[in-house]
Amino acid sequence: MPLARDTMIEAIDVNKEYRRAGAIIRALADVNLTIKSGEFVIIQGPTGCGKSTLLNVLSGLDYPDSGKIIFDGENIARSTEDRLARLRRMKIGFIFQDFNLINTLTALENVESVLWPTVLRSSEIENRAIAALRDANLLERKDHYPVQMSGGEKQKCGLARAIIHRPRVILADEPTGNLDPQSEKEVMDLLKKINKDSETTVIVVTHRAKLSSYGDKAVHMKNGEIESVK
Amino acid sequence: MTRKGILLIMREKRTFMIFTLIYTILIFLTSLFLDFAFDQGFSSIAGYLVAIFFLTSLILSLLYAWILVSRKRRNWATLKCIGYTNKNIISLVSGIILFTTLFGLFIVLEILFHYTAIFTYLESANIQTGLPGILIGLLPVVATAFIFIFVQLISIALIYRKVLKVRPIVALKRVGE
Repeated sequence: MPLARDTMIEAIDVNKEYRRAGAIIRALADVNLTIKSGEFVIIQGPTGCGKSTLLNVLSGLDYPDSGKIIFDGENIARSTEDRLARLRRMKIGFIFQDFNLINTLTALENVESVLWPTVLRSSEIENRAIAALRDANLLERKDHYPVQMSGGEKQKCGLARAIIHRPRVILADEPTGNLDPQSEKEVMDLLKKINKDSETTVIVVTHRAKLSSYGDKAVHMKNGEIESVK
Repeated sequence: MTRKGILLIMREKRTFMIFTLIYTILIFLTSLFLDFAFDQGFSSIAGYLVAIFFLTSLILSLLYAWILVSRKRRNWATLKCIGYTNKNIISLVSGIILFTTLFGLFIVLEILFHYTAIFTYLESANIQTGLPGILIGLLPVVATAFIFIFVQLISIALIYRKVLKVRPIVALKRVGE
């Protein structure tokens, strides 16, 4: 019998509105969602449906107008910016569509940069970065700069950066949006492997329907509301 | 974190070289005219020039800090996304600014040291140059160093508000969006 999983993130009655050109856009409308520890969740929907906004509020990058975000037992909906930054450093790994690597740093330094503000020794940070790059199958490119890497390699570097601090949750915003089909498969397979091996919760926001096969749970959004959870 | 700021700016060769050169010239001229002002009094032209260089360095420092934060906004936003606090970011920026200033100061000291060394060599070879043995005294250089570091600290304090305004969510926006 599988073990009962703890709740990792819970969104309760979350609302979020934006003002754009005088008009009010309801990005999230009474969203309720529970994500268990170790789950692989795919959030899908058409452009403008609110999936990225949901990712932003779940990770503490943006504040909801109302409602609660319970992250690992703590309501982060009204936490301070510094508190949220520390939470992200300790518990969340981010993967971006545009990779967001620092161009003047090598792959190894980009991965290490997550741990620079910590009290860890340089040698320990380097060891962890090497291990993360090995897990992302990118160790042989550790001394390369982002401009010397392909899109798939950049995203693997982004993935290594997301796992170096052994986060409890990995949040990926369209992680394969700029990748060819082969690289897309490699990145998604790696995410799945990390999810299985270390029980890390993975949340992927994507508009690509075919990626839903990777998830334990697929959340479909439309007009700021959760249409279905499968 | 300050050390990592040095790593970041050393890789930005063009920006680093331009600002180091400007700081070197400013530090040299401020030291030189401060030396004159010590002799002639601060109400002399030299004193006014020192005040002008002081203001110029303040404006330059603000410009440098502003460029660092504005041009690299997406990088700072990404770092905030991955868990950097505002203090962490300002530590990086401080490292960059202070290192550039200290590097400029180091170059000035090197120039002055080599000037004196060459002068001493020429003197020992009985070659008369008509130049002073020490171009700028130690006191004006030390005073200038303090002035410039003080100015950098002012610019860092002023730029802190701009760092606060960088929202991590910027990092999630698509390039060109």
